[in-house]
Amino acid sequence: MPIVTVRGLTREYQQGAVTVKALNGVDLEIEEGEFTALMGPSGSGKTTLLNQIGALDEPTSGTVVIDGKDLTTLSSAQLSDLRLQRLGFIFQSYNLIPVLSAFENAEFVLMLRGTDAAERRRRVMETLADVGLTGMEHRRPSELSGGQQQRVAVARAIAGRPALILADEPTANLDSTTGHELIALMKGLNEQHKVTFVFATHDPKVMEAARRVVELEDGKIARDTRK
Amino acid sequence: MKILMLAARNLFRNTRRTLITLMAITFGLAMIHFTINLQTGQYHEMITKGISTLAGHVVVSAAGYRDDPDPDRVLTGADAVAEALATALPDAIIAPRIFLGGLLNSPTSSVGVALTGLDPEAEAKVQDIVDKIREGRWLDDDVHGIVIGEKMAESLSVGLGDKLVYMGQHGDATEMTSQLFRVRGIFRTGSAELDGFAAFSNLEAARSLFGAGDIAHMVTVHLPEASGTAAALELARTALADTPGIEILSWRQALPEITAMIQLDRASGDVVLIILGIIVSMGVLNTVLMSALERTREFGVMMAIGMKPLQLARVILLEGMVLGILGSLLGIGAGLLLTWPAIAWGIDYSEYLGGESVDSGGVVVSTIFFARINPLRMGIYTLGAVVFTTLAALYPAIHVARLRPVDAMKHV
Ligand SMILES: Nc1ncnc2c1ncn2[C@@H]1O[C@H](COP(=O)(O)OP(=O)(O)O)[C@@H](O)[C@H]1O
Ligand SMILES: [Mg+2]
Repeated sequence: MPIVTVRGLTREYQQGAVTVKALNGVDLEIEEGEFTALMGPSGSGKTTLLNQIGALDEPTSGTVVIDGKDLTTLSSAQLSDLRLQRLGFIFQSYNLIPVLSAFENAEFVLMLRGTDAAERRRRVMETLADVGLTGMEHRRPSELSGGQQQRVAVARAIAGRPALILADEPTANLDSTTGHELIALMKGLNEQHKVTFVFATHDPKVMEAARRVVELEDGKIARDTRK
Repeated sequence: MKILMLAARNLFRNTRRTLITLMAITFGLAMIHFTINLQTGQYHEMITKGISTLAGHVVVSAAGYRDDPDPDRVLTGADAVAEALATALPDAIIAPRIFLGGLLNSPTSSVGVALTGLDPEAEAKVQDIVDKIREGRWLDDDVHGIVIGEKMAESLSVGLGDKLVYMGQHGDATEMTSQLFRVRGIFRTGSAELDGFAAFSNLEAARSLFGAGDIAHMVTVHLPEASGTAAALELARTALADTPGIEILSWRQALPEITAMIQLDRASGDVVLIILGIIVSMGVLNTVLMSALERTREFGVMMAIGMKPLQLARVILLEGMVLGILGSLLGIGAGLLLTWPAIAWGIDYSEYLGGESVDSGGVVVSTIFFARINPLRMGIYTLGAVVFTTLAALYPAIHVARLRPVDAMKHV
């Protein structure tokens, strides 16, 4: 069974008298263990789709089903819980809480889940090692480079072992070398730990790393390629 | 708890803004504490002076005397009452008093006088009139001795050792009775009323003017500590249970005007203090709201990854609370520091109030105001400050809890 099933999804925005169809009938399934790139030009609906899959926004019509649950039937508290327990997020920038150290940021999701301190510590140290940040646990975000900050965001997302990690242009604010390193890191985690990733990007070079590329155009899926 | 740590760290993100707000809370509270302590000192003075000069911690008089202080409403058998009280309350000073109104005549003129007949030895330990004597001495067992005020001595053109004749109509007498006195001491309190119209004589002299033995208007009981009043009242009631036609009152009952005045004064003072508290809270509201609005995007991320709106609201509320607690602690320190000189040396208002004493609600008090630490009221206001600052964070907290993560994350 797929982790995510999207059926007939539309999302419209009212901008004055104009209705913008950010998503215009999307059907999509994400299987466990996939490493999927969501491609498309700016404004094609990548962020809108990730927000729908991430239980952050309600659709105009259609359904998103995660773990067999139709999101439209869940209360906002249940959605919040679903995000906490099953999903991981990496955003374009300003992902981290500035007053918390790398360790504390990476720990945040586990803390919200109420995981006990010893277990938290073990998982976070292990995860920070996975993303190559051993020795930087006590640094605040302002003391880390942009690439290192995104690695902390990756660590926070995977520390909770979610079913699915959604990353919205995680490399957009990084130079291309650092960006490719981050993608390589995520791909490594995908292969090593079978973490499922969906990430939006409009960098064609990033596409090469992905095993599946879903291309969006004007709110619709134009191509869906598996390698 | 982690959330508390998060709140505390957030507060010191913009150190300057937080410190300015902290200073406002600290300064506001220091003013409040200072005012409270100065008030407490004044009330204490009014109460202790009122008790010693106008009543006692416990007062025994003829039934109905408080509500209708008719000079004819005398307590007969006053000596027996005093005796019984002295036995029941060995630590207390028992001072019987008689109040007479009449004329005091010198060879050249005459003035109206409020003459108090009293036990000189007992009163010397109770009233500070003894310390206010500028010429001569306090009364002793000489029944012809009289102590008068400076202004009265002037009006009568008399000095120490001069003769005065008191005239009045008292008790069952149908004629005026009179008595010869000799000026033994002259006092100055600074109160025009006392210095111009009050005089003190021996209890026995007043009794003979009344044409009766063994009477008094009040038998006053003075305790080492006002806190012993309730217990003393109980003991007095028991000791005098078989004495008919008397009333036994605590100082609160005997001096309802003072209690009422203090309550009124305190209530009007509280209004000012609460307004000050509200102004300080506005500062807190501003600080917490600004810092919350600046972090909108961050809150969006936190909610997106699973933090619940209520948890987020709690962080914001805690920020207000931590600010309030820090400010309150500093405020207590600053308040005590500010109060300290007023405890050690007092604040001299004699220039403004024109003299060393002033009449306040019928009680003559010193114009040097001494402060007195009032831990209870300081505590109440401190707690109030923490509640107020927490409430000030309520609006920002609700605002943040209502954010949708996707909208919040659009903010930069
Ligand atoms: N909150 C919004 N209000 C109005 N229009 C929006 C909003 N969010 C997105 N859109 C519009 O929806 C379309 C898709 O946007 P988006 O999903 O952000 O594209 P992408 O992430 O691929 O750049 C764009 O035309 C954008 O202008
Ligand atoms: Mg986008």
